[in-house]
Amino acid sequence: MISSLSLFALSLAPATTLCSAAVPTEHAAERLVIFAERAFTQPGEVVENATIIVEDGKITSVRGGTLAGDADLRAACVTAGLVDMSFRYSRHQNTVEQSAEITAAARITPMLDLHARGWERALRQGITTVAVFPVDRNVVGGQGAVLKTGGEATLEARLLRADAFLRGAMGSEPSSGNRSSGARPANFYARRPTTRMGVEWEWRKAFYDAWQAEQRGEEPDANQAELLRALSGETPVFIQAWATQDIRTAVFFAEEMAAEGMGTMRLIIDAGAEAWREPDLLVRSKAAVCLPPLPAAGRTTERAFMSMNTAAKLHAAGVPVALSAHGNSGSGNTLAEQVFYARRGGLPFDAALAAVTTVPATLLGVSDRVGTIADGRDADLVLWNGTPFELTSRPVGVVLNGVTLIGGETD
Amino acid sequence: MIYLTRRAQRTMKHTSALLAALLLLAATPSASALDGTLVIEAGKIVTLTGEVIEGGKIVIVDGRITAIGADVAVPWDADHLDATDLIAYPGFIEAITSSGMDRPNENVDVAPFLDVRDSIDPVNVYFEDALRSGVTTLNIQQGSACVVGARGHVVKPIGRTVEEMSIRPRAGIVLSATPKRGKSRATQAQALRGAFDGLRRYLEGVVADTKAGNDYAKREAMYQGREPDEESSKGRKLECSGWDVEGLKLVPRWELDDKQAPLVSLVEGRIPAFIYCGGAMDVRVAIEVAEANGFLHKTTLVLSGDSDRAVDLIAERGLPVILTGALTRSEIDEETDELEDIFLPEIYAEAGVRFALRSNNATTESLAYQAARCVAHGMSREDALRAISITPAEIIGVAKRVGSLAVGMDGNVVLYTGDPFSVDGVVQRVIIEGEEVYDRATDSRVRHLEQGEAPDNTEPNDPESSEDGESGDGESGDGEEGDGEEGDDEKEG
Repeated sequence: MISSLSLFALSLAPATTLCSAAVPTEHAAERLVIFAERAFTQPGEVVENATIIVEDGKITSVRGGTLAGDADLRAACVTAGLVDMSFRYSRHQNTVEQSAEITAAARITPMLDLHARGWERALRQGITTVAVFPVDRNVVGGQGAVLKTGGEATLEARLLRADAFLRGAMGSEPSSGNRSSGARPANFYARRPTTRMGVEWEWRKAFYDAWQAEQRGEEPDANQAELLRALSGETPVFIQAWATQDIRTAVFFAEEMAAEGMGTMRLIIDAGAEAWREPDLLVRSKAAVCLPPLPAAGRTTERAFMSMNTAAKLHAAGVPVALSAHGNSGSGNTLAEQVFYARRGGLPFDAALAAVTTVPATLLGVSDRVGTIADGRDADLVLWNGTPFELTSRPVGVVLNGVTLIGGETD
Repeated sequence: MIYLTRRAQRTMKHTSALLAALLLLAATPSASALDGTLVIEAGKIVTLTGEVIEGGKIVIVDGRITAIGADVAVPWDADHLDATDLIAYPGFIEAITSSGMDRPNENVDVAPFLDVRDSIDPVNVYFEDALRSGVTTLNIQQGSACVVGARGHVVKPIGRTVEEMSIRPRAGIVLSATPKRGKSRATQAQALRGAFDGLRRYLEGVVADTKAGNDYAKREAMYQGREPDEESSKGRKLECSGWDVEGLKLVPRWELDDKQAPLVSLVEGRIPAFIYCGGAMDVRVAIEVAEANGFLHKTTLVLSGDSDRAVDLIAERGLPVILTGALTRSEIDEETDELEDIFLPEIYAEAGVRFALRSNNATTESLAYQAARCVAHGMSREDALRAISITPAEIIGVAKRVGSLAVGMDGNVVLYTGDPFSVDGVVQRVIIEGEEVYDRATDSRVRHLEQGEAPDNTEPNDPESSEDGESGDGESGDGEEGDGEEGDDEKEG
């Protein structure tokens, strides 16, 4: 399988321009030896003078001490490939099916354009694994998927986990642009919720209907089957909620389902900019939070206010925190820079590393494959020219499934 | 002017001397050198021009640095600032910005008679943010949506009036080779050339009138309320290397129309020009116009887009540049369909072009951020720091006052908690001309942006207060935090 990943070869581009090579190689390297002065193998663990051996796309050995023989790749530091669980590969994509408010069985995968530039831009930032999902113009958008960002541009080659979570949204976005029918005959648009409470009502109604159908012993339809899977905790529910009121709504909704004996959801709040206001609420509901990119002056979407210490505050309260760049790759907005800002806000280094590796990998159910540098894990590695996540350093090489896709400073 | 003077005289007669002194102070630009002596004892001093001093003192007398070093004599009456746990840097310099004004652009195409001083808003939160990110000097110029813009002003981000903020008034003129909205590149270029053709025709007209014995210009000047001083009462030959107007010597300079006089200063090379170029093809037009009108040697190009493609042309003419926007430009090779990231400062550095960096916002893309990214791409720390200190100071003509820590320079010192490029390095205190003007410990906006505390002047927004109200009332999230934050982004287009 690895040898079929033949898109890129090891690049001899100048160290300062990450330029993927022009000529595809017939055979990707089956064995790769990587040497780094420091390997941040997992949060809390640093191996000095680490030699990482990769065979057939998997890590087979991580060892500290002097290097025996030659290394194919060398770098100052190496981390596991970064994971962004709230990714958008194109700013212009409209990925939500809007023919109904609840499209729980809709899958993002058929509409992914794997040739879009956004994947490679993410890869260049060191992001090797992402979650994609329908965003966010109806209420329950559907099933999210976990993919690698590089390699052969087919779903078979890149998909890590299909139907990884149920995606939906609270707040004003699902109802934005909708209107009540007024005196006009009811039409398609007039049918949809026009307020936050309408959005929440759609959530509740869909879940109650699915649960009651099950109670009556009826065969659930496709949507209901997915909702029941979420209700039972089998798949996490990933709810976009920027502002405090929407985070509250999501938490209270999950608590209501539990209180009614309908099931215990695994709640993940996405874009929880204002989650810092009430971390206790999230602790109580065992919810995790994925944070949006830090805005320049505090204000995010939905006029939610996100302070620099948001991640630190949630972490201190015991809430699992993931960071996201929302697919931005521009100046000041990359995922690595989000880590920098979170650290400036007081998040300890290990928690910051976890927020872009192990935490999202665990939440997405792929931590047995990605997120750490350990024997048997996928060989997804980021090579840095200095301490990771400092502004004075950057990814100079990215290895994905054991293949060097970006750069590779071979000093 | 005469009106003000007479009024001031009357005031002197009829009010107390104190009030008169206050008026004089307000009327004197940039005379804010403070009385008194301040000694800053810093854990480390990064002078940028000399050696890094481990554990040293900076002595500032009446706003200027009089001594700096590990072992310097301290005046007995000096105020003492203990910063032994902090690192001292010179304040960073914003090479060009259109923030801090009520709006960045004037809709008249050619408006060199305007001055941004009338538009600068001293209480704009932008200036507070500048202090917070270690910027102590800013070159405020009109935005790029013009042909010939207003006159700019170099200021410090402190003071209640523009006069108090002022470092250098009438500090250059902005021109734009980038098409203003609604113009094509061709009409923009033509309008730019036309502005100087118009100047020339105007000057020739005045000369012709004067030769014919008419005094229209003089009468117009008197009507506009101008009066000659000793220098302007005389005529001078046009000192422009591009072209000449024969007989201009006959026209006393004070008679020249206010609308045209700033352009005369420009073509005579008396003030710097900042020419916006949105891409490589604009660079050619900018250089052509500057050269034809004799101010190429005073020209700085303000670059964005793919202007780096014209780097050889820029290097050949020895022009300094200011890099705006993102430092990386992505390019897709049309033949191979490959994506390439070009790190722009590196292109200019390799070509030997002097460049200054500019911040995009104070929180995530500050000047220190821009410089740190240069280090990430292999530039030396010294070169990266130079691009946000000494180089911009040179470009805006204030290098003798700001941009480094040395004897004789303005007493502008920014005290960091660590390396400004690293996670630990934030601005703790700022001293401008010997006066402490910022202390992070008392900065409520930092507590707001970094720790989420409710900003001043708004309703308290304490989550505890609605802890058990499950309806979520009082947590509307809409419009409860202070406003004025949206004004941070520059609108130049």
